[in-house]
Amino acid sequence: MFRAATVPDPMAGEGCPVVSLETVSKSFTRWQRKEGASGKGEKRGIFGQEKKTVAALDHVSFRIGQGEFVAYAGPNGAGKSTTMKLLAGMLQPTDGKLSVLGMSPEKDRIALMKKLGVLFGNRTELWWDHPVIQSFEWKKVVWDIPDAVYRRNLEMVTELLDMGEIRNVFARELSLGQRMRADLAMMLLHSPELILLDEPTLGLDVVAKRQMIEFLKKINQEEGVTIMVTSHDMDDLEEMARRILMISGGKLAFDGSFDGLREITGNLTRLRVTTDGRKPALEGCRLISEGHGIFEFEADLSRLSIQGLLEGLSRAAGIRNVEIGKAPIEQVIAQLYQAWDRAGSPGSLPG
Amino acid sequence: MGYGMKRYFGLLGIYARMDLASLTRDGKFMAVVMAADIISNLSSISGIFLLAWKLGGIGGMDRFEVLFMLAYGNIVMGFLNMMGGCNALFPSRIIGRGQWEHMFIMPLPYIVQLTVGIFPFTGSGGFLSGIGMLWVAVCHMETVLPWWWPGALVLQLLISMVVVVAFSYLFSSLAFYAPVQCEEISGTVVYSLEHTRTFPLSGMPVYIRYPLLTIFPAGLMAWLPTRILLGKAATWETFYPAVSALLVSLAAAYFFRKGFRYYVKKGINRYVPGGHRS
Repeated sequence: MFRAATVPDPMAGEGCPVVSLETVSKSFTRWQRKEGASGKGEKRGIFGQEKKTVAALDHVSFRIGQGEFVAYAGPNGAGKSTTMKLLAGMLQPTDGKLSVLGMSPEKDRIALMKKLGVLFGNRTELWWDHPVIQSFEWKKVVWDIPDAVYRRNLEMVTELLDMGEIRNVFARELSLGQRMRADLAMMLLHSPELILLDEPTLGLDVVAKRQMIEFLKKINQEEGVTIMVTSHDMDDLEEMARRILMISGGKLAFDGSFDGLREITGNLTRLRVTTDGRKPALEGCRLISEGHGIFEFEADLSRLSIQGLLEGLSRAAGIRNVEIGKAPIEQVIAQLYQAWDRAGSPGSLPG
Repeated sequence: MGYGMKRYFGLLGIYARMDLASLTRDGKFMAVVMAADIISNLSSISGIFLLAWKLGGIGGMDRFEVLFMLAYGNIVMGFLNMMGGCNALFPSRIIGRGQWEHMFIMPLPYIVQLTVGIFPFTGSGGFLSGIGMLWVAVCHMETVLPWWWPGALVLQLLISMVVVVAFSYLFSSLAFYAPVQCEEISGTVVYSLEHTRTFPLSGMPVYIRYPLLTIFPAGLMAWLPTRILLGKAATWETFYPAVSALLVSLAAAYFFRKGFRYYVKKGINRYVPGGHRS
């Protein structure tokens, strides 16, 4: 497992970590039918199913400190949602120790839920057949939120999430973006100290997604709320979080910054070269796309020096413009997943 | 203790307010709900009652004793339906739909979550019609009721309710292991008991009567309690519903806890949106 030096140790500060996992494992058993086309094989398939143990999490350890905004990423089936469910007390680990806000999600569930906010992108906590404000009032009673806190938070979410228009709309009549905003607002009414978000931007359009990202960044920076978020959209994650935990095959494969992640995958850089139509020959660079005099290259700056790259550009004829930028994080991650697939384990990373 | 009770009633209050808001959101909707409730409650007992009226009674019970029995059953199921909003009476639905995950993140004990979700306005039709029918039946009966009789009635009602709830939770335990297949098992159990409860078991052969008092206790939902309350039961029969309720409750508590422990270890990959709290 890699740990980048650019991210501060969450244990360096005072007090307990907000989230702590110590060699946590979670395994599930799965029944699967034995393969068999006909005759005895088919009979075996029906009567002799195999029990298979699948390790969703395999000795995972990490800590998250107060006020951090952490992205939790990984390919499908990597163990992201399992981790979220363990932290929210919906599952119990097979092995290892975990604590959230200094409490055990299993033993201190009620006390923990008063301080924890949980939002799964594919489900809603709103009352379907009631106006949004009714769900908020229900939450106030169930979470026993003091009047002053409720009023202050209601004002804040109404303003920041532009809730004015939808507060009195029935939940079932909201668009997905509006529903997510309402769910997010409802989650914040009890002033949670830690927020767990599982795919919060799932299915949202560009505007709704932007609104959500800006809001999360704001409450993290201004209110000091610790946030842990999973998403398939790595660009979203990079925009929101400062630290990324990557999980693959149930194992923690990377813990560090997004730049650190780029470095271990070879410091990929994108060059966008505009010419008079002639194709530049850049040694050590891979041409990704071309058209209308615009050529896009990919270069690995851990293998090719900046000087070498600039020399190559200076030798090329007909160049009108050059833009250099980081490779999209999506591409870095895709490369990482492919490397894991080839290596068969997340321990063997390129670079 | 005081704070706990205040908070509990506060929770009942918010669910009641939401139920009232739901009923009164639209005049037509309210009229339709009330009409449907009256029609369904009357139709649920009309067959047996008309038969009893025509025959002058059934199985040693006169017309109004039969009406008393039907009313008693309506009160039992009506009260449970009224208190068991949010599928509390049908836990296999909560489990099978993966919606216990909503309950995990609420800062309340599960027992509180399951008992505060009342629907006193949209779900009280059966209960109120049952009380009305009971009043009519008692007014027409010739039996003189002792002073302690109302207390005995409440006690028997509670015992019958415990039997229904315990049976529902006992069978719902299976949903922890097979959520898809057993999602509706509590509905099947409760509705089967509800439909069978209206038949007077007096005069039935023992191979029908005993199973309906033991392995499928529809007889404990109305018939035997009615005999007890009208002073027609043998001494041992008087204690049988309470003993039965205790045993079924213990079994339900044991198997439900066991299933729940399995659930939090294994998890569930199923989630049906839209059914939560419906």
